[in-house]
Amino acid sequence: MRAGADRRPGHDSPPAVTGPVPTVVGTAMRRVDAVEKVTGAARFTGDLVVPGMLHGRVLRSPSPHARIARLDVTAATGLAGVRAVLTGADLLGGGFAGTDPYYGHAIKDRPIVAIDRVRFAGEPVAAVAADDPATANEALLAIQVEYEDLPAVTTVQAALAAGAPRLHEGPLRPGLFHGLGELRREEGNICYHYQFARGGLDEAFATADVFVEGEYTFPAVYQYAMEPHTVIAQWGADGLTIWACCQHPYLVRAELAEMFGLPLSGVRVIVPYIGGGFGSKSYTKMEPITAALARKAGRPVRIVNRIDEAMVTTRRHNMTCSMRTAATRDGRVVARQCRIRLDTGAYADNGPRVAATAGDAAPGPYRWQAVDVDAWAIYTNTPPAGSYRGFGATHLQWIGESQIDALARKVGQDPLTFRQRNLLRPGEDVRPGGKPLDADLVGDVTKVAAAIGWGAPKPPLVGRGVGVGLLAAGAHPVSTAAIRLQADGTAVLLVSTSELGQGARTVFTQIVAEELALPPDRVRVMGADTQFTPYDRSTGASRSTTLAGKAVQHAAADLRDQLIAIAGSTWGLPHASLGVRDGAVWHETERLSYPDLMHKHFGMAGGELIGRGEVRPQRGTGSYAEGPVFWEVCVGGAEVELDPETGQIRVRRLASVADVGKAINPQLVEAQDEGACLQGLGNALFEEMLFENGHVVNGSLLEYRVPTTADLPDEYRSILVENADGPGPYGAKGVGEGALAAVPAAIVNALADLGVEMRELPLTPERVWRRVRELGLQHPSWEG
Amino acid sequence: MLRPFEVHEPSTVAEASRLLGHHGEDAAVYAGGTELIPVMRDGLASYRHLVNLKAVPALDRITGEGDMVRVGALATHRTIERSPVVGARAPVLAQVAAGVANLRVRNVGTLGGNLCFAEPHSDPAVLLIAQNASILLARDGGERRVNAEAFFEGILRTVRRHDEILVWVDVPALPPHSGAAYARFALHERPTAGVAVAVTLDGGAVSSVRIAVGSVGPMPARVPEAEEALVGCGTDARALRQAAARTGQTVEVLGDLYGSEDYKRHIVTVLAAKALDQAVARAARPTGPEH
Amino acid sequence: MDASVPSRHIALTVNGRPVDALIEPRELLLDFLRDRLGLIGAKRSCDVQVCGACTVLLDGQAVSACCTLAYEARGRQVTTIEGLGADGRLHPLQEAFAEHAAVQCGFCTPGMILTAATLLQEVSSPTAAQVAAHLRGTLCRCTGYWKIIEAVVDAGRRGQEAGA
Repeated sequence: MRAGADRRPGHDSPPAVTGPVPTVVGTAMRRVDAVEKVTGAARFTGDLVVPGMLHGRVLRSPSPHARIARLDVTAATGLAGVRAVLTGADLLGGGFAGTDPYYGHAIKDRPIVAIDRVRFAGEPVAAVAADDPATANEALLAIQVEYEDLPAVTTVQAALAAGAPRLHEGPLRPGLFHGLGELRREEGNICYHYQFARGGLDEAFATADVFVEGEYTFPAVYQYAMEPHTVIAQWGADGLTIWACCQHPYLVRAELAEMFGLPLSGVRVIVPYIGGGFGSKSYTKMEPITAALARKAGRPVRIVNRIDEAMVTTRRHNMTCSMRTAATRDGRVVARQCRIRLDTGAYADNGPRVAATAGDAAPGPYRWQAVDVDAWAIYTNTPPAGSYRGFGATHLQWIGESQIDALARKVGQDPLTFRQRNLLRPGEDVRPGGKPLDADLVGDVTKVAAAIGWGAPKPPLVGRGVGVGLLAAGAHPVSTAAIRLQADGTAVLLVSTSELGQGARTVFTQIVAEELALPPDRVRVMGADTQFTPYDRSTGASRSTTLAGKAVQHAAADLRDQLIAIAGSTWGLPHASLGVRDGAVWHETERLSYPDLMHKHFGMAGGELIGRGEVRPQRGTGSYAEGPVFWEVCVGGAEVELDPETGQIRVRRLASVADVGKAINPQLVEAQDEGACLQGLGNALFEEMLFENGHVVNGSLLEYRVPTTADLPDEYRSILVENADGPGPYGAKGVGEGALAAVPAAIVNALADLGVEMRELPLTPERVWRRVRELGLQHPSWEG
Repeated sequence: MLRPFEVHEPSTVAEASRLLGHHGEDAAVYAGGTELIPVMRDGLASYRHLVNLKAVPALDRITGEGDMVRVGALATHRTIERSPVVGARAPVLAQVAAGVANLRVRNVGTLGGNLCFAEPHSDPAVLLIAQNASILLARDGGERRVNAEAFFEGILRTVRRHDEILVWVDVPALPPHSGAAYARFALHERPTAGVAVAVTLDGGAVSSVRIAVGSVGPMPARVPEAEEALVGCGTDARALRQAAARTGQTVEVLGDLYGSEDYKRHIVTVLAAKALDQAVARAARPTGPEH
Repeated sequence: MDASVPSRHIALTVNGRPVDALIEPRELLLDFLRDRLGLIGAKRSCDVQVCGACTVLLDGQAVSACCTLAYEARGRQVTTIEGLGADGRLHPLQEAFAEHAAVQCGFCTPGMILTAATLLQEVSSPTAAQVAAHLRGTLCRCTGYWKIIEAVVDAGRRGQEAGA
């Protein structure tokens, strides 16, 4: 039974479990959206039809860098059934007076459609709205464009070379939501520079005995959410309505409001079920172009990306990195130096934040005397790169961890023992001024090593590796929630977390059911609709259970307090003597059900009680530097078998840790971890976007390989760790990204265990085969 | 986006051929559509007239003719995979059919369509060449037989005239003391490399061998230099390794995103070794079904 | 509709119900089902027959509706996810997917369940290895497949126990 307490919304209170063991929280409750999804009833944005809706298509630049010399849309506009064609010229004209055509949550460097100049192959040059998709397609073909190619810098190296054309000039226009302090215009094609140094690097290196040094390459990777970006925009007397597969509806709302000169309440963003996000639908993507096209057309418009279009809408940053790490001969790490160059493509998108998290992930959670890190996000004439699950950590962990393994081998120590000695303990600083370590990494890595049989004899051509890291999770901690308790005792939860598949709606249902002692089927969760569901900063950075869930918990507690107050005054009893159970407030054996309480309160079978919950930064401003909200654990282990003849790697055993403080729904935690593992495996073994002069050459699933059932390891374990060490409800903290960083690290180290050190991902058979030959490795069974 | 077209339903091969001749480049044969529809939809080809060969009766039949199996052009990969006739007379073909693309494509895609489209990264043709299959091409006013190994001319190109219809593929039975095998390597949806071997033994020596390689070059092809080197040799490991190496060295290879040239040559060598081992083992089995 | 190309009348059965429609030959089955019949369970994703999100059954066989002409469904039985349960009850596969959390975002789910259904038609209680092999050409980006395989094995086992 939950006891009453004097608690205001947002008040930082201890976990609500003061009574018996939770009955709904901590159980594998069935997903509240399962039936909708297994019957095909669940609606995604592409399943919605708005009356009068037109079909939009986007004309995209074939050139990576060019001036638009001529753009003639007359023929297209004249086709029967074409209702509008939007170009950059429109955005500067009367129809869009008061519109700022540039957007970008970190840096406003991105025009809605290209204005005079294109900066990547695939950049929108025009958009058409027509009665049906076929007519829209015909209209695209009828648009005449002449490009004057400009010198293109399609690699970081070219972009940084002397005399390279500059992609962005003039005063930097900061966006609203980067949390990185003041941004400045950097030199040349540098979009953002993040650096830090702690301790004295040279002095520290001078005390070291062994060194490892290397240059590493990481590919551009495509998130491949199976639902491509889909947006419907509709203008009305009261403003703009957007239906979109949008991870951050409130941030998109703010950007659109600013761009189109509307008050925040004049933009409404509605988010149906999302068919996978993984960061590809974070921040602002296809919403501005759809809104602008709808405005020009004077009718609602829907734009759906094809997969090849989605690939040039957002991707993972490709990267090169040089790293040097040193240790003493008795196995103590001393210092690490790292230089990171991330290719952020033609526009910033989330590049600055990716650079910052990559920089912060570079040291790894070890006790260093000194670290020195520089991370740059660099503009190139390629499609823009942005968020993808586990960014920063996924980029760097495999590198840092491979150097840790190499050091261990140099000093003759077992890599697991080496880590156990050097890893930070809970409470130690990960970086100065930020949140101290809040996880038992030594415990986690020990468990994962055991799960892959660490120490047991290995068959030939089998290697084992582990990877340990942290990911700065939580983003900016601002979330609110409201619960409307109806006269019949059912509760409607309003919260703006997007349901991407992670199970947020289910977890929140469990929290509300627990806190209000209601059966879960008496709790209803609405999808995000900025007109009705209150502010949540974003869905991503593993923050929803931890932060939005905390706001939900507060809202439920607020409602509980109200119910107890009503009962207290009805019975003339102090609140502390009352509690909730089975949909009622109890005092010893006396009860008043929620409907009865509300009837007393309102004098009728009607009215509603509203509970409110709020989460905001507990100290400071919640900026990136002051955080993170929690450190997400990225720990994994792999046992692999190498076929030296073909270079193919077979993952025999895989283990990952879901270190979540408290698993509100253990089945969903495991589900998230499993999915993350396989994405990590894909990133490690075969996923890469291939470019030629700025063009994606493998822009279809025929040639961009994602994991299938054929790639499953023989054995897999997701190890649940619950140490109640998170800031979320019941001591929870987020999960779902760690394995993307840990799995590549573990696999790289498992190969290194066989003597095959890899410095480039993905570990395609050809790359591995070539490396084996380069290293001249011999093994009795490696014949032929 | 598909642009408008008409679908014709001829009731005979001759009628189908006449339609193709009449509409020229505006017409295409339409069978399973698994290659045709995507290509049309992406605007890489445009046809206003599709000649639906499925309207012609009995083009999908699979029959045993003596020791040979005759596979109708419209037999799907799935029916080939499951056909007892194929299983008895050309079991490696069933194995190859089972590995094409994915089950949805196998349910609908036809052998004839696969061969005529001539996508280089593909399996069935490689085995058919190794097993000395022959193809019947028919048009209004005549027909001709073409050996599988002479059917392909280049990337997406075959000797089929525009108004010819591929009617069936004959796969002859392997002679006594023979074995066939197919080994492939695939990372993507389509294969990176495939090697097919059909070998006949006489005593302990190779009396004849056909080695075909696909997916690594512009078209599937035999590798005569490797075959010649093996004829008359014993079937010891060294001889087979040498033949495999010869295959990898001499086959025509184009580097692409499936692999660089040297890697593909290496994989071909590895696959050829596997396929040779397997084919020889099957050939060396005492009398009985050649599996 | 393009007036220069005559449209065709087709009659087919969709989820057990007769359907009559006038189609253009170029109409894709996926768009016909989604836009004309409102059966939005089948989804467009990769558009190149690799992912299986558009899977529907044509006379019980799984096909990629994104690359199949609606014309091909004439005179045939089409089954979509909406036609899988009966009398408002969930099909054992649907029940198992819900039970085992084999659903996350749900975008692949209709295609995945229909494809699994074709396996159970042939092998009533498949092993995990058989399920993995059968589902090899059907993609899921969220789950990592483990729970999907568990769900199908469980649905098969229960079906067999029930003598289904």
